[in-house]
Amino acid sequence: MRDPDLIGERPMNFRRQQRRRRSAFESPAGAALILPAAVLALSFCSPATAQGNVSKAEADAKLRYCEVCHGASAQGFHGYYPIPRLAGQPTEYLKNQLQAFVERRRTSNIMFNVGHVLSPAMIDALTTDFNQLNPKPLGGAPKGNIDEGKKIFENGIAESNVPACASCHGPEAKGNGPFPRLAGQLYDYITNKLTNWEKERGQNPAQPDISAVMQPIAHSLTQPQIKAVAAYLSYLE
Amino acid sequence: MRSLYSLQTDRTTRRARFAFPAGRVLKKAGLQVGLTAGILAFVLAGAVSAQHRITGSGDLQAKISYCKDCHGVSAQGFNGYYPIPRLAGQQPEYIENQLRAFTEHRRTNNIMFNVAHSLSPAMINALTAHFASLNPPPIGGAPRQLVATGRKIFEDGMPEVNIAACAACHGPEATGSGQIPRLAGQLYPYMIKTLSNWDKERGRNPTVPDAAAIMSPVAHSLNKSQIEAVAAFVSTLRSSRATPNTVQ
Repeated sequence: MRDPDLIGERPMNFRRQQRRRRSAFESPAGAALILPAAVLALSFCSPATAQGNVSKAEADAKLRYCEVCHGASAQGFHGYYPIPRLAGQPTEYLKNQLQAFVERRRTSNIMFNVGHVLSPAMIDALTTDFNQLNPKPLGGAPKGNIDEGKKIFENGIAESNVPACASCHGPEAKGNGPFPRLAGQLYDYITNKLTNWEKERGQNPAQPDISAVMQPIAHSLTQPQIKAVAAYLSYLE
Repeated sequence: MRSLYSLQTDRTTRRARFAFPAGRVLKKAGLQVGLTAGILAFVLAGAVSAQHRITGSGDLQAKISYCKDCHGVSAQGFNGYYPIPRLAGQQPEYIENQLRAFTEHRRTNNIMFNVAHSLSPAMINALTAHFASLNPPPIGGAPRQLVATGRKIFEDGMPEVNIAACAACHGPEATGSGQIPRLAGQLYPYMIKTLSNWDKERGRNPTVPDAAAIMSPVAHSLNKSQIEAVAAFVSTLRSSRATPNTVQ
């Protein structure tokens, strides 16, 4: 089951090794640093997956568990909170966010507990599954200001120093590496995140992360602008 | 719509006769009065629904007291022959959807089929608003020693065995949201019965799939003692709010 190199190591060392893998995410802010770290982590993790540390049945059961809250095909769901779409999300983004919950960079008790019990191999399996899903957007957003949202997304707002969202999230909002896919994300989820950015992201001062990149942008957007962008993205396939 | 309603009234009359065995159940609970009132309310409601509106506040009051015959004095729930659920503080959208579930046979229950059948949309709006506004204390009676375990499952779930945190959808105070029901103060035996029999009670009409499908794997993943613990916890929960603040 295990990597041949690990055979003979005591379980505790194995755990420590796992922890070391995770610590790759703890590097300071900026994609420049996180990207190589993630690549490194990935190369550590992949042998474990290749050896099938997680059976298909286990991974499927966990996926169904995730879908209870994140909706059928992980398209997002309105529970008590808007629960985000995970379908089509870059694997690297998902891994970093799961790590963020465990490291209290994002504070959510529920997701802390969920993230806590996932082995690196399970995270690999899940994030790959989510990345490959492509259901239709959940919909439901007001349609009145979609055009304005598209304009902000594609061009930014130069006069208030808001860069084009597309420059990091991609012209189709599919995301890339640590930058999340926004296409088809829930309207009220995006609205909440952009409105409360600093209260929800980068919450562990000991571990600054890439969420710092978004902070001044979220600040510069007005409520109507946030709603316009959120509405546009929520219908994007 | 009018012709639909008159059709429904015909069917209701037939159903009412058909459903008479249910009378035995009510008698057992000592609710003959409720039955009589119910039949009377039927006749009245038939006339009301045809008009799509409530003709006077007297109609609404009569209907409210009819519901409370079975659902308890302040709609806090009642242990009749069956545990009859608390409606107080319940989400209006949830109640509305459940009433439709009875008429569409997504939930199969003769008594509630007949009750729901006779309600006009205007009456349903008025009733659901009324129930949402109530906030009596829970009826109680669950084993206290299970509450702590139940709270843990409710708030955190059991991620290692794929049990989702109830709070993610039902809210940290179990107040529910939209079609997702409030569980705070719900009857202990009602919670147990419903979670234990989920697939046999909900989502019963394959041609009309509904939100009940979301709960199905969750109910399945809980074992008997976990169900009892969660049921005990929510049954003791007082909500500080009758209606939730869904914006987080």
